[in-house]
Amino acid sequence: MLGRPSFVASVVFALFLHAQEAAHAQLNIDLIGGGARQIPVTILPFAGEERFTQRASQIVSADLQRSGMFRLGSVGSVRPLPAEPSEINYRYWKNEGAEMLVIGSVIEKADGHAEVRFRMMDVGKQSQILGFSYTITMSQLRVTAHKIADLIYEKLTGDIGVFATKICFVTKNVDRFELQVSDADGYNPEFILAHREPIISPQWSPDGTRIAYVSFERKKPIVFMHNLLDGTRMVLANFEGSNSAPAWSPDGKKLALVLTKDGSSNIYTINPDASGLARLTETESIDTEPNFSGDGRHILFTSDRAGSPQIYRMRADGEGEAERMTFEGSYNVTPRHSPDGKSFIFIHRNEGRFNVAVLELASRQMQILTAGRLDQSPSLAPNGKMILYATEVKGRGILAAVSSDGRIKQRFTAQSGDIREPAWGPLLNNRRKEQ
Amino acid sequence: MRNVLYVVFLVFFLAGCASQGGKSADIEQRDLFDQQQAQRQQEAARQQEAERQSQVMREQEELKRQLEEQQQRQQSQAQQEQAIVRPLSDGAVGESQLKSDPWSQLKETGSLLLKRSIYYEYDRYDIQEEYVPVIEAHAKILMAHPDLKIVVQGNCDDRGSREYNLALGHRRAESVKRAMALLGVNDKQIESVSFGAEKPVAFGQDEESWAKNRRSDIVYPKEPQ
Repeated sequence: MLGRPSFVASVVFALFLHAQEAAHAQLNIDLIGGGARQIPVTILPFAGEERFTQRASQIVSADLQRSGMFRLGSVGSVRPLPAEPSEINYRYWKNEGAEMLVIGSVIEKADGHAEVRFRMMDVGKQSQILGFSYTITMSQLRVTAHKIADLIYEKLTGDIGVFATKICFVTKNVDRFELQVSDADGYNPEFILAHREPIISPQWSPDGTRIAYVSFERKKPIVFMHNLLDGTRMVLANFEGSNSAPAWSPDGKKLALVLTKDGSSNIYTINPDASGLARLTETESIDTEPNFSGDGRHILFTSDRAGSPQIYRMRADGEGEAERMTFEGSYNVTPRHSPDGKSFIFIHRNEGRFNVAVLELASRQMQILTAGRLDQSPSLAPNGKMILYATEVKGRGILAAVSSDGRIKQRFTAQSGDIREPAWGPLLNNRRKEQ
Repeated sequence: MRNVLYVVFLVFFLAGCASQGGKSADIEQRDLFDQQQAQRQQEAARQQEAERQSQVMREQEELKRQLEEQQQRQQSQAQQEQAIVRPLSDGAVGESQLKSDPWSQLKETGSLLLKRSIYYEYDRYDIQEEYVPVIEAHAKILMAHPDLKIVVQGNCDDRGSREYNLALGHRRAESVKRAMALLGVNDKQIESVSFGAEKPVAFGQDEESWAKNRRSDIVYPKEPQ
């Protein structure tokens, strides 16, 4: 009983420490390469947005620019800028080379609310393609701008936009490990927890309300589950030996995980309330890194049952024989299904380097997507178009992202310390219904 | 007073009933007695049969135990022979020392017990020949002190997957635990844990650093510092 109050005190102290540091934790994302074919779009400053600290049109532009899939057009010299269709001089914008023109306004309302309006106009056809109005509180301005960027992205590329999603990652500063959540563009970093011992393998629940992760705070790996809604956490698995590699089923009703309680590393499933433990694999070697397919029917995993670590696929109930999926090279680990189930990404050792690769299931063709020395922990965006992963530059851990065709590259940097173990969060519930 | 009288009356009344019932109860009791006797006889027969069976079982188990003992003797003989084949280094633990305080033995100058790490090749968990004497020395002190406990911590270099490395670190720690158990250490004295690539001791990105991180550490949690 004596130990408990001091433990609580240290957690509170850690939280307090963080409150002072939070402002410095923001990530900067730079685009390194661009897509082969860039879609032209012209985003004009929104009328009235200059009165606010965050400019909505700049957030939209930055999102689209960073995706590497768009070429942003000139905002011209005509003033005042149009905010409504009736104010657009189509001939002028056509001469400026604009094909798609995004206009909008931010109007301050009473009691801290604002109305954000935007439209995307086809300059050639002089017709509206998209148009929405949002009534928001000022704290929702960034996420609203990300939603606008998502709508533009979806209309022009045909894919789902992921600008309004979140990511989580682990930062390491000397001996301090923090689990953090931020917007997909690195803004609004939110501190989840901190420890003097390592934190690895965070995984979002499909509804985005919980994060399962592995912590070494009790001098051995234990799987915890953190609830983002109320800030509470629970032990998901603390059996004898190692507890690690949590992976959610797509319906969120189960997690696969790896336990060594029966001797070697085997894959089990457990319910999110820590009940219903069931064993899926029975190996004397290593089975680890389970990952459910989007339809919940299969699990990809890493196993060294044939001598070197390779990727295998089994039924999600563990029945039947596992099928070996990778044959190229002697080290293939960390498989992650693509959302459409047509491919999976993984880490492949290539002449001493560890790189993100993708394997097409139909053709069994492998493509290496990155060129770092030590690329780790790949995580696919929920639209399957970008892969967030950990890498290092000059001995410092950073995050990077690559498009699933390898053409577009982004680099995420923090002001200090290492960043690692990224996990891309799911699409928000209301958006998934729209799809 | 009325209540007391009522109770007394009730007692007499019930006693009368009981004595009446007693007569018929005698007859019934006899019948029951006969049945009980038969049951007792049956029970005795059953017990005899059960005893015979359990004796057979005991005999079988004894035979099995003798067989296992014989196998164990052969195994430990084989192990002892193995151990004898290997030359003990100068720092080896002498039999006479084993009875004394383990903590001073663990710190004795030149002792193999000062060596607490076992190193591995890349992506391997088998114990190389040069570390066998270290494992034997720790096994010996554990066997001499059945209350003594160790934690074997498996570690990896930081290349590749953190989760795969965690599993590999577990295998490294387990390989030490199994080797000691084969030498006769009670495996309840050994806890194996893995830190994967999370607890490096060397931070360079070269083979020298990686080799230092691919190791199992033998830790005596209660050892005075």
